[in-house]
Amino acid sequence: MLLSLNWLREFVPYTGSPEELGARLTMLGLELDGVSHPFPAIEGMVVGRIEECKKHPDSDHLILCRVNLGSEIVDIICGAPNTAPGQHVVVAPVGSTMPDGTKVKKAKLRGQESNGIICSERELGLSDDHRGILVLDEEMSGPFTLGQNAREAMGLDTAVLDISVTPNRGDCLSVLGLARETALAFNLPLTLPAIDYAGVERGSCALEGLQLEVESGDVSSYYHLRAIEGLKVGRSPAWLRWRLQGVGQRSISNLVDVTNYVMLELGQPLHSFDLHKVRGGKVRVALAGEGEKLVTLDGQERQLVTRDITIRDAEGPIGLGGVMGGANSDIDAQSSAVLLEGAIFNPSLIRRTSKRLHLSSEASYRFERGVDQSMCGYALERAAAMIAKLGQGKLSAGSLGSEPKPWVAPLLPLRRERAELLIGVSLTPEFCEDCLSKLGCKLEKDCTEAGRETWRVAPPNHRPDLEREVDLIEELARVYGFDNLPQTLPEVERPAEKAGEAKSIYQFVSRVKHWAAGLGLNEVVNYSFVGHKDLDLFGLPAEGRLSIMNPLTSDMDVLRTALLPGLMNSLRNNLAQGAGGLRVFEVANAFTADPASETTAHENLRLGLLFYGDRFSAGWPQTQAEADYLDVKGVVEALLDKLRLPAAVYANMAVDSGKALPWLLPGVSVSLVINGQSVQLGWIGRVKPEIADVYHARKNVWAAELDMDLLYKLSLGVKPRSKPLPVFPPVRRDITVIAPLGLEAEAVLAVIKKSSPAGLESVSLVDLFLPAGGQERNLTFRLTYRAADRTLQDAEVDKLRDSMAAALVKALPVRI
Amino acid sequence: MNLIAELEGLVDKLKTQLAQAVSLPDLEELRVSFVGRKGALAGLMNKLKDLAPQERPAFGQKANEIKQILSDLLEKRLEELKAQKEAADLVTFDATLPGRQPWRGSLHPITQVIEEICAIYEKLGYDVVGGPEVETDFYNFEALNFPHDHPARDMQDTLYVNEGIVMRTHTSPVEVRTMLASKKPPVAVVIPGKVYRRDSDITHTPMFHQIEGLIVGKNLNLCDLRGTLAYMCRSLFGKTVNVRFRPSFFPFTEPSAEVDISCIMCNGKGHIDGQPCRVCKTTGWLEILGCGMTDPNVYAFSGFDRECTGFAFGLGVERVAMLKYGIGDLRLFFENDLRFLQQFS
Repeated sequence: MLLSLNWLREFVPYTGSPEELGARLTMLGLELDGVSHPFPAIEGMVVGRIEECKKHPDSDHLILCRVNLGSEIVDIICGAPNTAPGQHVVVAPVGSTMPDGTKVKKAKLRGQESNGIICSERELGLSDDHRGILVLDEEMSGPFTLGQNAREAMGLDTAVLDISVTPNRGDCLSVLGLARETALAFNLPLTLPAIDYAGVERGSCALEGLQLEVESGDVSSYYHLRAIEGLKVGRSPAWLRWRLQGVGQRSISNLVDVTNYVMLELGQPLHSFDLHKVRGGKVRVALAGEGEKLVTLDGQERQLVTRDITIRDAEGPIGLGGVMGGANSDIDAQSSAVLLEGAIFNPSLIRRTSKRLHLSSEASYRFERGVDQSMCGYALERAAAMIAKLGQGKLSAGSLGSEPKPWVAPLLPLRRERAELLIGVSLTPEFCEDCLSKLGCKLEKDCTEAGRETWRVAPPNHRPDLEREVDLIEELARVYGFDNLPQTLPEVERPAEKAGEAKSIYQFVSRVKHWAAGLGLNEVVNYSFVGHKDLDLFGLPAEGRLSIMNPLTSDMDVLRTALLPGLMNSLRNNLAQGAGGLRVFEVANAFTADPASETTAHENLRLGLLFYGDRFSAGWPQTQAEADYLDVKGVVEALLDKLRLPAAVYANMAVDSGKALPWLLPGVSVSLVINGQSVQLGWIGRVKPEIADVYHARKNVWAAELDMDLLYKLSLGVKPRSKPLPVFPPVRRDITVIAPLGLEAEAVLAVIKKSSPAGLESVSLVDLFLPAGGQERNLTFRLTYRAADRTLQDAEVDKLRDSMAAALVKALPVRI
Repeated sequence: MNLIAELEGLVDKLKTQLAQAVSLPDLEELRVSFVGRKGALAGLMNKLKDLAPQERPAFGQKANEIKQILSDLLEKRLEELKAQKEAADLVTFDATLPGRQPWRGSLHPITQVIEEICAIYEKLGYDVVGGPEVETDFYNFEALNFPHDHPARDMQDTLYVNEGIVMRTHTSPVEVRTMLASKKPPVAVVIPGKVYRRDSDITHTPMFHQIEGLIVGKNLNLCDLRGTLAYMCRSLFGKTVNVRFRPSFFPFTEPSAEVDISCIMCNGKGHIDGQPCRVCKTTGWLEILGCGMTDPNVYAFSGFDRECTGFAFGLGVERVAMLKYGIGDLRLFFENDLRFLQQFS
């Protein structure tokens, strides 16, 4: 809400600075967003009088003017056709700056000296008018002081406060409303402007032949019409144009400007119909018929539905009540009679219409937030008299109207005790009474309810947001001043039954994140939404996706069903910055449709990993290498170990089921299942090169995703136990298995573990060698034997190793 | 007695060979060949059985003497060689060579701020809880006292998944879920999480993070709210930070307030060395969070008594991170540029 300080002063005698006013209003809940100074262009301009006009000796159209600036008389050359001696004009003297930034300097025009510029309205930023100079005598009555600052002389607004008004304070969307708060803040009297009938001709009732019908129900609680006839459409007077312009409104014509002016001033939206365009002598306020259409003032054809409020004449809709008028009844240059509407419409119907049509007007904005019904008649009368005056028309006697639902202020209970409990300080009856009275409430103090002191409070008509006791308590706190309250740190009650509760998923996730960061991975955060086309690119299933109905862009029109597309975006961003390697993780939800869920969504918390490029953070002292499957898998194995979970089974999906994941290279698409679990924990694999290519990744992209919900669930069952350390020494033997390519290491390990009797403590791969050109590879395992009760003998261990070798050769197509 | 002479001969033999042993493996070889299990000394010892019984004690005694001498010689040479090697290693040592670099892992600044704030509240006795990001209209709006067709809904431009199903626009719906689950007071929770708005420009991203707090208990009032939030702001930004409360409006709290902290760039002065402060735009204050006493309608929707007392608050994580770390551009949070992320390692 833009508030002109001069306009405010017509209601309340505030003499301080705009900044101080803004600061006080801010602390009352009406936040100052900024103070602007309109008409900056006129800053350095002064009033002058043309004393003499002469034709320029060497030009057909230039005129030499002698201009009196009070302190001096200067010669100015001017090209305007409307200069005449005696005119008061606005002069940009030498040394001042024009709105376009040019400095006014002494100049010579065809041999004659010019000392300044006589300005047109356009040059002053007042309008587009550049037909001639601005002649002040034509716009306003004097007297004028020569040399006076033009902005002052013209009565232009110099300070405009931008106040942000919260949705509950519709009453503050007007100069009047903010004046009330100013009066409250500074303890000043408030004056309503009188209705000015001076020079207004009163006519007979033009409304006699007109029939008004307001549909029953909740469409409109107040609807009144006034007529003004014999009007001349024209430009509004300067004061009105300039005032509207000061708060960012465009002047249209004398008849239309008045309705805007009164709306900004009093907060009551008004609408003018051309009386002669109302057909059949009838006005009806009713919901629209099915399939009806209306072209609104902005020239758009609107398809109406049966929840839209329409203003109708005998033939059909002529306006969208409370939102925008119809083009078929608008005021134009030929209009001579106005039917002026002052009404209150149902806020939620207005909101639905305005939302559906994406048509928010100053009127609908105010109606949605509540307009003071008791002020409606006054606003209508003030506007009607102003239109009659400015358009030199006749104000017809009486108004035509209906008030289906008069405004009744509620009577709210107020327990001072409850207010003290919620606010936390003691509030004297005097403070409460003074505060509520200043807000315009009416009080009944000596009441009791259930034996307790309970006041009855009737809020003022302009505060429909005061509906409950707690709303009154907020007013008391607001006026008391939140910052005048002490600060206390309350004790937090903790029920004893909370003892021994399982660790929360928040704690679990935090533990995993800290582990990953400690391991040298960087955490990333990506948007939850991507584009359908991204999910398509990865071959993620089209079924079960959750689309955004009103996405900002097509890049963000679906919730991600996997973390990988987001991780790939992070990769692309980093490659664009020349990163040589990336090792990142993300913990976030993947979303799929779930008809059984009340939110229609299944949210699965996942851990995503992406490894790319450099294996080491520097190329020295070791030789740089490229990250591969074993880097990702090692991290996954370490995580399961960290969480004290059993190891997982890693199955090559192409080999295992013939079904690789669609975004992974078929040969390197690996599924993970924790030993002893039936559900898949996740996957590891290499992103298909054609997908990687879209993200400008030229090297292999390795990724993994794990189900964090599942890991959390499993981790809750883990009970950390310590194992005693062995007493007797181990005996180690190496065994090299020459296996055909394609035989998985896990298959060899399985036989080793199965064939070895008690005594084999652990087995690990220590070397893998591929002889050149061969069809085989050499896997060397280190076997650690140990007995719990004695030292094993060499011969004994040699025997165990030999029998294992025999078992391997028997079970698998291998040599030792 | 030529066996004794042979024993004595070993000493000179070893001395000669030791002089030629210049490396630790050479030395080890000598040790094995002289005093090893199958070495020269052992070879002579084996001849003990060939001696007459009366000669055996003298031979045995001599052999032990010689063994001691040989061992000492070997040990002495070993020390010499070790010292030589250490001296040689010292020559190649360079204290200024760069270290073997581990990867610099990092937690995202959003995570760091969330954890810092949650830790402040956990210390006070609050629990950290979560809730769904796809929400019903009921939890996201209605139960929080945003009626249908009410302009309060304009405060949050909403992304829809389905009719009546939204991407949550704030973490507040978890307040209602928490109260419904707990059935009765007391409740004290903080709720960090992702939230979504249909908004994208230089100061807005369609996804961002909030932390919500809710406490319902015995006789909680506005002074407690002020004290709790002042405690948080000072824990986050330092002891000397000033806090002010401005009345405001949120449908789910009554009274409602917005909280400003004194500008951390200019210390609330509005100017730095005579230049206008760009962070607070000379006001000296920075808006940091919204809060209020929970509205009775919210209690009613959550199955609590309307006369309960308690308060709630919500703050933007990115906003706090930007102020705390001096991050100038909101987009940096979601571009995941390593050069940015690694500043938080």
